[in-house]
Amino acid sequence: MSIVFALATPASKSALCVFRVSGDGCLKVLGSIFGNPPIEPRRFYHSSLISQSGVIDSVGVVFFKGSSGYTGEDSFEVYAHGGLAVMGSVVDLFKELDFDEAGPGEFTKRAFLNNKLSLSEAESVVDVINASSKEVLEVSLNSLSGGFSEELYSFSERVDTLRKFIEGSIDFSDEDYDFIKEGGVVDDISCLCADFGGFVNKCYLAGEGELKKMVLFVGPPNSGKSSLFNRLLGSDRALVSDIPGTTRDLIESEVFYNNSSFGVLDSAGIRSTEDVVEGKGIELTIAHIKDVDVVVGVFDSLCDKELNKIKALAGGKNFISVLNKSDLGVFNKDGLFDVLVSAKNGDGVTELKNKISLVSENAGPDGQKYFARSRHIKLFDEGLGFLEAAMFKLRSGSDVELAAEDLRFARASFDEVVGVKTSDSLLGDIFSDFCIGK
Amino acid sequence: MSNEYDVVVVGGGHAGVEAAHAVYRSGLSCALVSFSYETIGQMSCNPAIGGLGKSHLVREVDAMGGIMAQATDMSGIQYRTLNTRKGNSVQALRAQCDRELYKKAIQDTLKLTDIEIIEGEVIDLLSNKESVFGVLLADNTEVRGKKTILTTGTFLNGIMYTGQDKIQGGRVGESAAIPLSRKLYSLNLPMGRLKTGTPARIKMSSLDLGLMEEQKGETPTPWMALSEHPTEHQKQLSCYITRTNKNTHKIIKKNIHLSAMYSGNISGIGPRYCPSIEDKVFKFGGKDSHQIFIEPEGINKDLVYPNGISTSLPKQAQEDFIYSIAGMENSQIEEYGYAVEYDFVDPRSLNPTMETKFFKNLYLAGQINGTTGYEEAAAQGLMAGANAANKIKNKESLILERSEAYIGVLINDLTTHGVTEPYRMFTSRAEHRLMLGQDNAEQRLLIIAKKADLVSEKRINSFEKKENAYNTFLENSIIKRKVKSFIDSSGKKIDLKEKASIETILKRTDISRENIIEISDTGPENLLFLDRAMVEIKYSGYIEKQKREVLKNKKLNLKDIPKNFPYTSISGLSNEVKEKLNKTQPTTVGAASKIEGVTPAAINLLLVYIKKAELETLDA
Repeated sequence: MSIVFALATPASKSALCVFRVSGDGCLKVLGSIFGNPPIEPRRFYHSSLISQSGVIDSVGVVFFKGSSGYTGEDSFEVYAHGGLAVMGSVVDLFKELDFDEAGPGEFTKRAFLNNKLSLSEAESVVDVINASSKEVLEVSLNSLSGGFSEELYSFSERVDTLRKFIEGSIDFSDEDYDFIKEGGVVDDISCLCADFGGFVNKCYLAGEGELKKMVLFVGPPNSGKSSLFNRLLGSDRALVSDIPGTTRDLIESEVFYNNSSFGVLDSAGIRSTEDVVEGKGIELTIAHIKDVDVVVGVFDSLCDKELNKIKALAGGKNFISVLNKSDLGVFNKDGLFDVLVSAKNGDGVTELKNKISLVSENAGPDGQKYFARSRHIKLFDEGLGFLEAAMFKLRSGSDVELAAEDLRFARASFDEVVGVKTSDSLLGDIFSDFCIGK
Repeated sequence: MSNEYDVVVVGGGHAGVEAAHAVYRSGLSCALVSFSYETIGQMSCNPAIGGLGKSHLVREVDAMGGIMAQATDMSGIQYRTLNTRKGNSVQALRAQCDRELYKKAIQDTLKLTDIEIIEGEVIDLLSNKESVFGVLLADNTEVRGKKTILTTGTFLNGIMYTGQDKIQGGRVGESAAIPLSRKLYSLNLPMGRLKTGTPARIKMSSLDLGLMEEQKGETPTPWMALSEHPTEHQKQLSCYITRTNKNTHKIIKKNIHLSAMYSGNISGIGPRYCPSIEDKVFKFGGKDSHQIFIEPEGINKDLVYPNGISTSLPKQAQEDFIYSIAGMENSQIEEYGYAVEYDFVDPRSLNPTMETKFFKNLYLAGQINGTTGYEEAAAQGLMAGANAANKIKNKESLILERSEAYIGVLINDLTTHGVTEPYRMFTSRAEHRLMLGQDNAEQRLLIIAKKADLVSEKRINSFEKKENAYNTFLENSIIKRKVKSFIDSSGKKIDLKEKASIETILKRTDISRENIIEISDTGPENLLFLDRAMVEIKYSGYIEKQKREVLKNKKLNLKDIPKNFPYTSISGLSNEVKEKLNKTQPTTVGAASKIEGVTPAAINLLLVYIKKAELETLDA
């Protein structure tokens, strides 16, 4: 079976974290990712864990051959330090190795299929699989508004329609019909990308209890954003958990204040520049801005050009502008900024917290929101990536067959909810809609 | 009287000749039984070979030593590459052939072999309870073989319809194989009925080609065969395009009640991608006009095949609507169009080797399995012949994966999903089509074919020489050279931040071939190599991804589902999916995962229940 991995310990900061990897051929990587690769099975080794960019962590590792491990197939476990950065790097490493993230019940299912569990345990395996496949529906029920799975069905149908035109253009190119043009494919895929992007943005990680308000800190580098962030957390000592996940590239923490809680995100610095690499960072932040309720802009100078740029980035979101470094003598000229603080000595931080608390309470969910499992969110993100890749190719009018491949993969991200679309049924759609053939 | 051969092939169509030739190449003795010698290698539908998904099959047959591509090159009178503006993997070559020359080429090729050609009608299979050991001819001759391959095309219970007229036969002027159909029916095989149609054949000299659009062939004229081809092409001819019009459609509508296909006489299912002109007018009434390709039948033949107006209308109505078409006003019709209905055997009763599950030593190939098209037939014939021979020699079965060849897709689709209409290949059926270009068939299949004794040592050697030269090109060449800028497809100069190798630039989608040739300083002798490298590098990311996909599904694809598996007992499956599984009865989990609407969770459940059933059997 394919190689899967999962974090076996909770996804929060702790002393240790354990990753499990299972699947035929997974032991082949031992030699390349461990500085001191384990030699004998079922023995604990101390080693460094290495990725292409260097040593990730000093870890413990143990491997199992075939039937001796829990899943009954080749597997290994990595005991790493429980920091979020480490967890993130390990996940990245496994993904680079093309391991799949295990779905719910995957390890138990494998154990059962490999004769490691008795017949009486079969039902429990079935239950887990059934529970996970119903997840989408349950999640939908929990969402603030219904229509989650309906929307997914409609997106998958739109992908099918696009594929109908694109496959038609490939397989029936000598018909007197311009599938791509007549089908309005280029416009449609642009709309689909925008709509599906909007859908993905409406998907929030389903958690326990109420939806918490999210606050994002943005600003130019060295504006003291991170110190302010730490000051905000540190002064309260109310840190509940650090959550890795889709927002791994941001630092996320949860703050309790005045009986309400809000999540705060610290982003990498944004400089308004034409530079491509920095541009990527801006894109990323824009993507995150869509997910949050309040944007806090942190600045250390009176440059209103910077302020306006970032305010523009925040779009229609609640925006609080903060001028930092009052300890260095900067002052809020003309009341240009909402709050004046000093991250260094804590001046103005309480005022900022009150402001955030007030604004975030008023920041109701703008429009529809869906709760989804992280697995689905990841799937949809991937799907969106494939759609966008197809869109770029179709816009440029080249590499239609590669766009078709992108769309095939995009369609696969709906399989879990909608079920597979077969090539035969796709051809059937083409034949029933177009007069094909001689 | 009795003769004994290693393999007996029944039928001399495209499946039959490839089957017989494959047996011959593998060094075994073979008899080919046909109604008449004259019809061996006949193209019974339009005179063209190749097209999308089809040229891919032809090249694969060629890469495995088959004869179709070479016969095409000996008779090709027009070549066109389709999809030239799309990427390499979905480009396809189509060749119009001179019908007589094609047949002659096939017959001449067979003459160079020791295949024994027997004229006669097969009326029965020689068999005991579980296996077949040859055939019985109408004159009571027994032709015995260790293996028997049936490639009887549309001749099983074939009936041709023109309006209200009904004639038994699979092709004009030839009788249907009725006793043999009866025999197959008596075996209670799962069989079905399909139909297909042809247009009238018209004298070229009676057409006014000046009123039509001329379609010339491609220059320089390419070759279908990857291996050897003649030194010179046949004389190249043009095709012509004309169109039906409102008046044509009016005439068809007026006469529709007379059409065999619309009067309820025909029960068989026709191909949706090859609709009769009646279907086009009725099902797609919104279109006022449909294209007709006028395909010449041959160099010295005053006849055309008007592709696009297949019909089963009565003769008078055919004349009326044909006369209404621009350039066809004075058509002299040599032969009228007809619909043909025929029996096929449900291909799910075949193993992937093409051997039947119901009888040992009996193989089926071609239209008898519910496919349509010369290329599909040839591919099956080759595989049936090769597997029959391999079995006799106790060699491993020759089974191609879906990711290895269109032939693998074809046989896998047939044997796992069966057919609901005449099955034709399309590139969209091949989920791994980026790996399956018509140009890389040899790279994919030559070594496999060698293992199955289908190609000569000589061919392997010349192939390896070519491959070595290519690898040397890749290692030493110019594409490793680093450049600072290039010109993109829109003619804009792109300056790179850092010098990059041409190899890296080739991964981009906005390159222009001419500019790459220029900056890599590739001489004409290396152009083919550069083109190949351009394709391989551009696709490499996608192909890596596909390869991983293949690897992941490999075990799943092979996992068998027990017969009559109680799908209804699986908790958590939707009724719709249960019903589909019950109806399709997939034999492997891989096949089940390719059924419309099946989810990954459903497949996981299926795996668990199969395991459960296994454990329960052990416990019992």
